[in-house]
Amino acid sequence: MKQCLLPSLAKVINSGVHLQKSDIYHEESNPCHHGLPSWLKQSIDLLRKMAISRAKRYALYNQQDKLEISLFPFLSIFLCVMGVLSFINVLSSFSAPQKIELTAQLETGYKVAYQIFNLPDGIISVPPTKYLRKLQESTKNDADKDTIETILQEREAQLIRLANHKGKAMALAKDPDIDDVLTIVRNIRALNEIALRANYLYEEFLLFGIYPNGGQAYQKIRDVMTLTEDSRAISVGLEPLDSNWTLNLKKLNKASK
Amino acid sequence: MKNLISLDSLTDIVSNSVGILIIFAVINLIHDDSKTYQLEIPIEHATDLSPVFFISKNDRLLPMDTDKLFANATLQATTGAAANKRLFPLDYSGLLGKIDQDKGISFYARDTSEWNEFQEIDKRQSKLRQKFDSINPKTHFAYFFVYDSSEDGSTIGSGFEAFRKAREYLKTRAIKTGWQPVNSDSPTHICDRSFSPLCTYLPSYLGSQ
Repeated sequence: MKQCLLPSLAKVINSGVHLQKSDIYHEESNPCHHGLPSWLKQSIDLLRKMAISRAKRYALYNQQDKLEISLFPFLSIFLCVMGVLSFINVLSSFSAPQKIELTAQLETGYKVAYQIFNLPDGIISVPPTKYLRKLQESTKNDADKDTIETILQEREAQLIRLANHKGKAMALAKDPDIDDVLTIVRNIRALNEIALRANYLYEEFLLFGIYPNGGQAYQKIRDVMTLTEDSRAISVGLEPLDSNWTLNLKKLNKASK
Repeated sequence: MKNLISLDSLTDIVSNSVGILIIFAVINLIHDDSKTYQLEIPIEHATDLSPVFFISKNDRLLPMDTDKLFANATLQATTGAAANKRLFPLDYSGLLGKIDQDKGISFYARDTSEWNEFQEIDKRQSKLRQKFDSINPKTHFAYFFVYDSSEDGSTIGSGFEAFRKAREYLKTRAIKTGWQPVNSDSPTHICDRSFSPLCTYLPSYLGSQ
């Protein structure tokens, strides 16, 4: 069996385009194929068909008329595609305003910013949480630890709400609520005083990011801040922002850790 | 003709195009990440320095000569529109004034055509540059009232860019700056702190300094 089978397979596999039609058709009546397993017969048939198709293809071309490869259509299309893509790229960089993402966690030395973004529709508050756990560990007073825990949980919940928001970040802006502003200011003052008592180098301050037409919300908050003594104990900063400077809410949680 | 038609070259073109698109996408992604902007950290602080006031609007800047402005306002304070708490002209680069119970005198900027364009900061002989250079950093700081929008409510024409440019220049001369956003609803106002806590004009130092 082996003596019949191996030369036959080898002939089919190795012959490639040089296999003559007559060789293949003669194989049909080969007595060696009788008694072979069906899977092996199918494999041999498949290889035969491949050999036939290759033979057919080979027969289409004369040896004298070799296939000429022209690079021109390839290069022309390639350059066209490159040109169009470059044009679109240049056009978009000129027409679309540059998008700039603002960092959620902002600090300089021991001063950490509680950011309030002021938009035409209201404000977005982004509280810092990064060092609160360390501050909690460094204080020995249980009441202070509880205060930090409460503030931390509130802030983390707020950040999760912001991070889970789907859609444009700016849609989260809401009118500044008097109680909210007073709470923010009170908490900042409380944390600063705890840090002072614990001899931990940490100070929070309010940083207002003012977007175009966001001055109204800012003025409202500053008016509210005049109502409380707490605001006199904390530092304030403000910075003008352009409308294409966006806050990436998805990075909020990452930045706060 | 038949010889020119080949699937191989088509595959080449398609694969090359897709490859280029992927490269572009990757470059854009990398580029996008590098655009994260860290805000300057300006923090207001108490100071013994006196403010020199400026108004920034429509990419233009106006130095405010407070002596002249208050003298003009005082002359009209008891007569006509000023007495009736209506807007009155101050004869100062198109500024209008209004007596305000809570904020002293409010200044309304309507026509800014006479004001200095902020690009003049780069010109050595410009009036704006001379005004900035005349500020003594040991005794004074610059305080800007910056319009956060133009009169028609559009974002184009605010004073943000002019303010940033001025701040950048003043920083090189070690002159401190402070600012607050203003608009037609919350106009520029100058008053004494004893009058109201809102009458506070403080310079900021940058956290990086």
